[in-house]
Amino acid sequence: MTQPGAMRVAGDSHVGKVRTTNEDALIVEPRMGLYAVLDGMGGASAGDVAAQLARDTIRDFVLHRRLTLAPRALVEAAIVAGSTAVFTAAQHHRERQGMGTTVVACLVVDPTHVVIGHVGDSRAYLLRGGRLQTLTRDHTVVEELVDRGLLAPEEAERHPYKNVLSRNLGARADARVDTLELELRPDDRLLLCSDGLYGYASAEAIQYLLGSGDAPEHVARDLIELALRGGGGDNVSTIVLEAPSAAPSSTQVVRTSGALAWWQHRQRFLQVADDGGLTRSPIVRGLPPHEALELVALSLCQAIYHDLEKSTGVNVWTFAQNLAAGWFERGGEWRAVRGIVDILGTAAQAVVDDIRAAAPELGFLLDVAVSRALIVVELALGGLLAERLRQVDADVIELHTAQLATLEHTTQESPALGERVSERFIDRPTIPFLRPDRPVTGSGESAEVMNAIGKALTIARGRLSPRAELVAQVFLALETVAGDSGGNFAAAVVSARELYGARSVDNAGVMPLFDAFDKARILVASSVQQLRVLPPVRARVLRALSTAHQRLVGATTGLVLEVVNPFTERLRDAQAVTSELRDAVAKAERQRADLERRFATIVDPSLPWGARGTTEW
Amino acid sequence: MASVNLTEAVRVLRDEVLDTVRHGDRDPPGTEVFEALLRALSIGGDTVPGLDLALHDAVARRLAWGDSEEAVLADAELVFDRLMVSTERAFRDPADQIVVIEAATQVAVTVSRVVAMAAVARAGRDRAARMRDEMSQHQLKEVLERQKAAIERLEHELKQDFR
Repeated sequence: MTQPGAMRVAGDSHVGKVRTTNEDALIVEPRMGLYAVLDGMGGASAGDVAAQLARDTIRDFVLHRRLTLAPRALVEAAIVAGSTAVFTAAQHHRERQGMGTTVVACLVVDPTHVVIGHVGDSRAYLLRGGRLQTLTRDHTVVEELVDRGLLAPEEAERHPYKNVLSRNLGARADARVDTLELELRPDDRLLLCSDGLYGYASAEAIQYLLGSGDAPEHVARDLIELALRGGGGDNVSTIVLEAPSAAPSSTQVVRTSGALAWWQHRQRFLQVADDGGLTRSPIVRGLPPHEALELVALSLCQAIYHDLEKSTGVNVWTFAQNLAAGWFERGGEWRAVRGIVDILGTAAQAVVDDIRAAAPELGFLLDVAVSRALIVVELALGGLLAERLRQVDADVIELHTAQLATLEHTTQESPALGERVSERFIDRPTIPFLRPDRPVTGSGESAEVMNAIGKALTIARGRLSPRAELVAQVFLALETVAGDSGGNFAAAVVSARELYGARSVDNAGVMPLFDAFDKARILVASSVQQLRVLPPVRARVLRALSTAHQRLVGATTGLVLEVVNPFTERLRDAQAVTSELRDAVAKAERQRADLERRFATIVDPSLPWGARGTTEW
Repeated sequence: MASVNLTEAVRVLRDEVLDTVRHGDRDPPGTEVFEALLRALSIGGDTVPGLDLALHDAVARRLAWGDSEEAVLADAELVFDRLMVSTERAFRDPADQIVVIEAATQVAVTVSRVVAMAAVARAGRDRAARMRDEMSQHQLKEVLERQKAAIERLEHELKQDFR
């Protein structure tokens, strides 16, 4: 892998299978950041002279003038200087008249910024995101004619002068140079090559090799091999430049090196777990030690490894759930789970410490990632405990209801026992839906008040129409809740559930219940006024019954909300699905429009060649 | 109807019942319940259409501001509980206590009913919206199928042309 900030470059050249001399020349000067491919031409060995002369001139020019000229101007001036040198040499040597050379040069200003200049038909390619693009346009007569609209593109392919250059170094003292500046992205690859490559190898094959991920020196050699297999009719030269890779993120490091290091230390993990007493845990009782270690410690080790690799917590979560849920189902104690998780945590820490001692940076990242995995374990256990607590609450409510039913009978036989049973539920408000910020009122009314509550409800019942069954049920519920010393919300929830039953979620289902509450309230209030007790007692009775009433109505409304909320959740789910479908339709529409556009350009001969879709190959 | 003095006496309990000190210059939660209580005390009677409307309005406003129905209900319960405690301490005459307790119970039950109605209405709206969404999904799936067919046809034709 490339070190961050470093650009890798390699070049190679081959005479080919037909020619006897190599008239290509290369510049590979990492210290100057100058790279070029030159393809000489001209009889009597003049081609290689031109190429070498231009190469030396360009290199010297850049070496001496690189601090005084801007990069783009430097490249252009260097190539012009090369052309002048070749032209002058041709003038002085009769046998070398007409010699010349192409050039494609790349000046690396910094690892993300390059300047490319070219004359002739040597090319520069850019491979970005796996796709090959031509950066240069050949300076051939045919291309110039096509550009001016004097020749149709399809005719250019068959034109006898398609290889005749319109520009080269040496034809004139100065040369018209095309330059471009390019911002490189991480992992971009540049290819400079002579026509001996692209004339004998397909663009697809070049793209494949350039994007293979092999080192530039291998790619440069393989490209030449490719041209040779394609016939090798010309000299072939390649230079491959690779932009620095992006620095790997900490997540990538953990996913690769971190996961590997973790897995390599699994024996250490098992050893520490064994030393910590994992095999003696009651959870693995009856298993041979090695099997216990494999079943618990190695499983967690594997789960962490897979989670590190995929940057998730799902494996660790599943591990913790499986470990604890099975144990709890068998009636196991929480303490054993806590103990085994602590042992595993110590083992994980020991492994991380070892890795940290050898590679501090990796160890640090792994410490964070493994700590996260251990937190996931704790969260999974917390979820299981909450589930257990809910079950306990349900059992408590059930037990409470059953005991309330027998309370009256028991109280008559043994008041002391009844009082004790009642106190257990009043004094231990552990049920989660008991809000801690709400004061529990009326924690113990006198017998006189309790008696008066019964009387008030009896009076109220007496004033009730026989058909008003729902109101009668409300009275019953009020008696239960108020009898439960008026403050316990658990009794209200149980009574509210009984009252609510299986009502439909609409006004016809819910509103009769609230009408019954209202009617019951009015009847109770007037019945309390009729009690033959002292005014303070009357006030206390009304307070107890009102509190019970409020608790009952509140709990019923809570139930309504509980029933209604899934409607909103289902709507949200449906909206999410609709949104995804809308996105899919929009995406498909774009794709269809794109295809139609391509189709239209292909069949429309009036458009210029370049506008007819992807025809660059 | 409670006497003017009683309504004023309950108004004095405002800071205590609503715990206004804790909430600074903002309206403390449950303000609408306390205001409704004062209204119930000043008007009196068992059926007060005005009370219903006022509470409906106040609850709807809170829901519109983003409070959940559970929050509105919890605030009403809190105000009720504090009021029970404050009433017992503040009013020596049991008759006064009874009047305030009756009004408080009426307000608490009304708030619960208004919240339940709002929840049921929300369920109806959500159910209707979900049906509309499911119909949209059906139509979108059809459109998607047609688009896929068109894309396949175009891709096929493009391949033919390239050959």
